[in-house]
Amino acid sequence: MAVLRRVRDVTQSEFQDFYQAKRDMCLRSVLASVGDRALAEDLVAEAFTRAWVSWHTVRHHPAPSAWIVRTALNTRVSWWRRRRREVALESHLEVAATENGDAGLDVVLLAVLRRLPPRQREVIVFRVFLDLDTKTTAGVLGIAPGTVTAHLSRAVATLRDQLITVDHLEVGS
Amino acid sequence: MSTGDTDSTAVLDAVRGSLDGVVMSTPVSQIVAAGRAHRRRRRLIKSAGGLAAVTALALAVPALDRSSTAPPEKRLSPQAGSAHVTVAFTLASHTDGTIHVTWNKNRYFQDHAGLQRALRHAGFPVLIKEGVFCRGPRDDGSLDPSGVGPGVARVMKGERKGNDTVAFVFTPSAMPAGKQLFIGYLSPSQLAVTHGNPGSVERLVSTGVPLTCTTQAPEPNPR
Repeated sequence: MAVLRRVRDVTQSEFQDFYQAKRDMCLRSVLASVGDRALAEDLVAEAFTRAWVSWHTVRHHPAPSAWIVRTALNTRVSWWRRRRREVALESHLEVAATENGDAGLDVVLLAVLRRLPPRQREVIVFRVFLDLDTKTTAGVLGIAPGTVTAHLSRAVATLRDQLITVDHLEVGS
Repeated sequence: MSTGDTDSTAVLDAVRGSLDGVVMSTPVSQIVAAGRAHRRRRRLIKSAGGLAAVTALALAVPALDRSSTAPPEKRLSPQAGSAHVTVAFTLASHTDGTIHVTWNKNRYFQDHAGLQRALRHAGFPVLIKEGVFCRGPRDDGSLDPSGVGPGVARVMKGERKGNDTVAFVFTPSAMPAGKQLFIGYLSPSQLAVTHGNPGSVERLVSTGVPLTCTTQAPEPNPR
């Protein structure tokens, strides 16, 4: 019994260390995809909750932080589907960003990021915000490493153009 | 390193740096509390799984029975009265205009859309959500310590029937004009507010105006 408790304590502490180390990068990754600070935090909290429940499995994942982000984004899809049905009934409904939602956020760059095609954005999320290598990103996304590189290259080109345009606009305004 | 590589690095650094100030504010204790609640619910569902059909029957029979043979104080009207029976809850419209909903506590929080549909079908204006909390621009946002807003008690009254069964009486005629009942259930990640106990917020909100919803769970004792 004491051994069981010790094992439980170790995995608890392991989860807590994982949470402390990865929570911010997971939040930024999800935020880059969903664009809403409060929603992103809810989704990531939900994903970490599920990770805690299934920690014995998640801890063996090749990239547990990628599991968190994937789960958060999948949760978002199911929320969105449910919400879409509700919006059909409640056409006046809208979700507002919370008052404290924009702290520490470069909204212009976030907007540029969110204009990327979904696959390119996913590659940016995993390669840049989660700092995964090409091979792991490819594994998580279920695509070839070469495809990851190609998406990243296209995303960088688009971002460079967009950022230059934004800079010029800011200078000109 | 080529100029292109340097450019790419600069772009990616700019992207990475753009969200540097964004940090997660949810404490790990809240995650663990929600996880424990999630695990408890899963255990309950598992243990109740085999009994689900029996529960449905047990809940359905009294509602249907009242409409035919039983002589309770408020009989179901053959014209206006109806019974809506699902695995999750039973809904019965009574001749005095009230709507009686009975559910099993373990399954209550799983069929929000079904409950909303059934209540609306029975003539009670209601909006049910999970994880978001809505109000109109002129609605009173205050809540009592149990998460209930002003005026709700007039349109919705609850009573516990035994350990596993909860009953609510909804009164459409008491609903103020231009209002509807909003029920916002806490999502699994928000349940830490209630220390893992199933929780919800009820308030009266306006109809026909844009509602603003936030995913920010209300504080336990906002007043």
